[in-house]
Amino acid sequence: MAPSTSSHAPSLDNLIKSFNSQSLEASIESLIFLLKRRQVKGDECAKATAHILRQVVAKAKWRDVDELLSRVQSVGSRLVRSAPLEPVIGNVVRRVLGLIRDEANEDRNADDFGSEAASDIQSLTSSTTPHPLRPGPSPIRPSPSALSSGLPVSKSMFNLLSVKAPSASPVTGASTPLSQAQPASVHALRSEVMDGIEEILDEINQADDQIAGFSEIQIHPGDYVLAYQPSRTVERFLVKAASKRRFTVIIASLESPSPGSSESPYAALRKKLNAAGVNTINLASNGLMAYIPRVNKVIFSAKAVYQNGGLLVDSGSCVAAQAAREYLKPVIALCPVYKFCPEDPSDEVSRGELGSPGSYVSYANGPAVDALDIENTVTDYIPPDLVDVYLTNLGPQTRHHLASILADHYKIEDIGLSLQLGEP
Amino acid sequence: MSKQGRGRAAAGKAKKPAKAGADEKSEDIFQAVILADSFQDRFRPFTLETPRCLLPLVNNPVIEYTLEFLASNGVQEVFIYCGAHSENIERYIHESTRWSPASAISPFSSLEFIRVSDAHSIGDFLRDLDKRGIITGDFVLVHGDLVSNIQLDAALAKHRARREANRDACMTVVVRSVGDQPHRAAKARGITPVFVVDPTTGRCLQYEEMHPLQSEHYLDLDPAVFAHGEFEVRTDLVDCGIDICTPDVLALWSESFDYELPRKNFLHGVLKDWELNGKLLYAEILEDGYAARATSLQMYDCISRDVLERWTLPFVPDSNLMHGQTYKRVKDGNYVEDHAHSERGAKVTQSVVGRGTTIKAGSVISGSIIGRRCKVGKNVRIENSYIWNDAVIGDGASVVHSVLAGSVVVGAHCRIPEGSLISYNVHIDSGIQLPSKPPARISLLTDDGQLAPTDASLVGPGGTGALYEVAADEEDSDNEDGANRDPAILQSSLIYSLEGLNLSTSSISTLASEQDDYDTDNDNISLAGSAQAGDYFNSKARDRLSSFASDESGSKPDGDFHTDAVHGLVDALRADDSTDFDSAKLEFMGLRLANNASDSAMRRAIAVAFARRAAELTRPGPGHGALEPTRAAAEALTSKKGAVKFVKEVGVGGDGVAQQAEFALALQRALVLLLGEKKEEDPLEAGRAGALLAALLQQLYNRDVLEEEGILAWWADQRAGESERMGALREKCRVLVEWLENADEEESSGEEEEEEEDE
Repeated sequence: MAPSTSSHAPSLDNLIKSFNSQSLEASIESLIFLLKRRQVKGDECAKATAHILRQVVAKAKWRDVDELLSRVQSVGSRLVRSAPLEPVIGNVVRRVLGLIRDEANEDRNADDFGSEAASDIQSLTSSTTPHPLRPGPSPIRPSPSALSSGLPVSKSMFNLLSVKAPSASPVTGASTPLSQAQPASVHALRSEVMDGIEEILDEINQADDQIAGFSEIQIHPGDYVLAYQPSRTVERFLVKAASKRRFTVIIASLESPSPGSSESPYAALRKKLNAAGVNTINLASNGLMAYIPRVNKVIFSAKAVYQNGGLLVDSGSCVAAQAAREYLKPVIALCPVYKFCPEDPSDEVSRGELGSPGSYVSYANGPAVDALDIENTVTDYIPPDLVDVYLTNLGPQTRHHLASILADHYKIEDIGLSLQLGEP
Repeated sequence: MSKQGRGRAAAGKAKKPAKAGADEKSEDIFQAVILADSFQDRFRPFTLETPRCLLPLVNNPVIEYTLEFLASNGVQEVFIYCGAHSENIERYIHESTRWSPASAISPFSSLEFIRVSDAHSIGDFLRDLDKRGIITGDFVLVHGDLVSNIQLDAALAKHRARREANRDACMTVVVRSVGDQPHRAAKARGITPVFVVDPTTGRCLQYEEMHPLQSEHYLDLDPAVFAHGEFEVRTDLVDCGIDICTPDVLALWSESFDYELPRKNFLHGVLKDWELNGKLLYAEILEDGYAARATSLQMYDCISRDVLERWTLPFVPDSNLMHGQTYKRVKDGNYVEDHAHSERGAKVTQSVVGRGTTIKAGSVISGSIIGRRCKVGKNVRIENSYIWNDAVIGDGASVVHSVLAGSVVVGAHCRIPEGSLISYNVHIDSGIQLPSKPPARISLLTDDGQLAPTDASLVGPGGTGALYEVAADEEDSDNEDGANRDPAILQSSLIYSLEGLNLSTSSISTLASEQDDYDTDNDNISLAGSAQAGDYFNSKARDRLSSFASDESGSKPDGDFHTDAVHGLVDALRADDSTDFDSAKLEFMGLRLANNASDSAMRRAIAVAFARRAAELTRPGPGHGALEPTRAAAEALTSKKGAVKFVKEVGVGGDGVAQQAEFALALQRALVLLLGEKKEEDPLEAGRAGALLAALLQQLYNRDVLEEEGILAWWADQRAGESERMGALREKCRVLVEWLENADEEESSGEEEEEEEDE
């Protein structure tokens, strides 16, 4: 009788389940159409991208690093193109590309120290990773200790394998005479990169909790906190804070209680907060200005952070940020590191994504459908000067330090990923 | 897993079988059937060359929306039924990188085409589907012109729960509510579907269709509906043709060999015969989401607008759902593909512009959809129009609310007024102004696919193309009667207009509280209205319709039905071996459905049959001697069990006084006819006929078929005395009527006395 068991609608979970039974190309295509149909959106995009790239590394045929890089690049740019308003996809692709370059670099260095210093990859990567032993992203990864402890082991493994390789398989390698990576090391590289992607996935999954860990520093007893359309990240943040502090949350949202559902918006969140002894006030977003003088800080989560410090957010957040600015209240943006984009907002982003007009006017309202031109922007762009604190999973940052975060996470040669997007 | 071997198309896909393994925990494979032919010609002249489901809607073939809708709902197996142009559709799908069954990236585990060589209706498709036995469980039945973004999960779950609870819950019809205010989608549909539903369970109780040209703005509610308890009569629904069915539905189609349309015949019929088949049908009424079918040019217009306004999200141009598309939303509400070029000074607003299209300076384009590789000259004005790929529009031309198909060439300084339909490859010379009333439809082909001779007066000396004439009558008159042609006319133009139509202004009421006439006179009124409707389009159509109208009033339109039905009934009445009338009744009802006979035709046939039988009995024949009129009438009506009930239910067809009077009148006319035709062999003299009429009426009165009011109403009806013969017959019944008028005080003892008087 339970009807939920036979849900046919495709989703990210179903897709991940079908990875093993589907061809790689079919999986990629499924994801592209999930993105195009907006059946995967928001934070799910990052996860989906990491999952699919892991499949690319695992299943695609590649013989050397360059081939792997170009495979990942081409799949990545298809994904980015299919959802131009989800910049996190590009970020994850860049992270994976950087990861591959790092692993390959270590490989080569371990192979023969410095003899290939002139190789293109080496020359490019050396600028951002002066010490070959230091993995680029490791300082800010969630579990740096695990990674660094694992590194020496894998390095010596590489040595072992790559030295043995020529004698073990003398014939098969003949087709790639100039290949820098040996067949056996390809195998090792594959597992290295897959482990790396696994770590990126962990980082994505843990980011919300890590950000929540900073909540007691940011929220003080007796605070009035305005949460604009709290996302899952903000919810966790508030609930975590509620376990330590007594404060008041003002939840502002666009949607009035819809006639269909008796529940007021964010009922689950309010229940949790109330259980922890935190008062909540529900607010329609148009009444927001009246409460701003009472508020101590404004919190919302970003969909993406651009290198200039501008934010891509749910629509309406910009009004809240501006209101806070007028009253000199601090604005805190919750943004995990994987949402930092090493680029400037595109035209499309600053214009905002358009949703269905259905959330403002019912399609059943004939005269309105005929007479009105309804533009329902579902995203806003917040200029950098309205944001005071960027609370990442690595801790609070100011705008001036964003550049170093970006430099830590992305390789220069991958930053222009969007420029590589050619014709389909 | 064994299901895998079944799909022929799955043969080339070695990787797919494992996919089914993941699904085996869900109860079955999700199947869908697309009906890619509608057996209609509302998109003529465009559909002469391209099937409806491949016409571009916002630069995507319509079927792309349908397939993407199925993919977004996780459908695994798809069966496509094609009719006209099936080879085009098959080629299109096979060449598509995304849908081709051979493609590794197809979201469907199998996609099959099924060809039915002799299909003439959707009913034939579905009966064929039943025979094939490829449907294993619940499936979704959609049309190839569906545009929808709804998620079926909720409706499916409800459907399954109902089916678990009751095996007879066999179908869920998905409809979209559009409110009771005027709505462009509702306005465009021409025919208003009327659903009578139970608001709590969603069970469908009755289904009817209405349209503005019908003569009676009433619907009869089935008495069973009232017995059901609470119900709603909904006319605010747009039927998007999505049906969630169990295989039982196909069996129902097979049982009813004459059903053709899924709604008008099937839904209506199955609900009507609910007591017979015991099947429960449900309606899922959506309050959000988008679903509509491009069933006519007006719906095409409406859906295109909805796509531009993003009601259909994610099916909007900048989702680039089709392979190779690169639409971007740019300023002024435009969607422009890469490599589309508009010169500085061209003003484009609220439009879609495809790749490779160039728009020169000074042109003003608003609310239009322009395909790929079009060339728009200088100072062109295009408003609310649909311009398909490769069209060329010369300098200074203006195009308003029209459809220009692929590779159309419009010369400089042409005027294309509202509502024009210009089909593929037509060339219109410079400086031509097309007529605006009626808007022109120009095509290279005639209705039967032949090359039409160019009409130089229309398209200019350098042009090619001729006025497209609407198809001749025979083509679809076999299954649609006169009253039904009218809404088709409403739907065949781009602009919905009732201008020029002679409509009665009475509002549409769904409750037929007052009895209305089912009389042929009324039919004439509606046909006269449609004759004027034809006027609006072209003179040819008017001629055709008015001649059609005179046919209807002069002779019997249901000639076949009438003779067949009368023969069948008289044979059944004559039959000595059986005393049961039920089989005759079944046969009659079947005949009626097959011919889609009107109530008045049925009444006439029954009256003639019984009158003929009664007249027969007054003469000596095999097995009986000459009977007195009274005996003959009683014999004719009562010798077979159920005959009286049949007359009451089918012949009279209601409790109303008007119907009873109609039936009495039909009897009278039948006897007058008999007077005429029987002359040569055995004259039925006027006196006997009159006595027979009085006797029949009296018998019917005694058996409660006709009531006193009914007979009196007939008596008062002036048509009963309109001719000499009719008058003579009527006179014979004066005694009966007078007796009836005084009957109040002596009702109980009336029977014996009456017989005396009559003889």
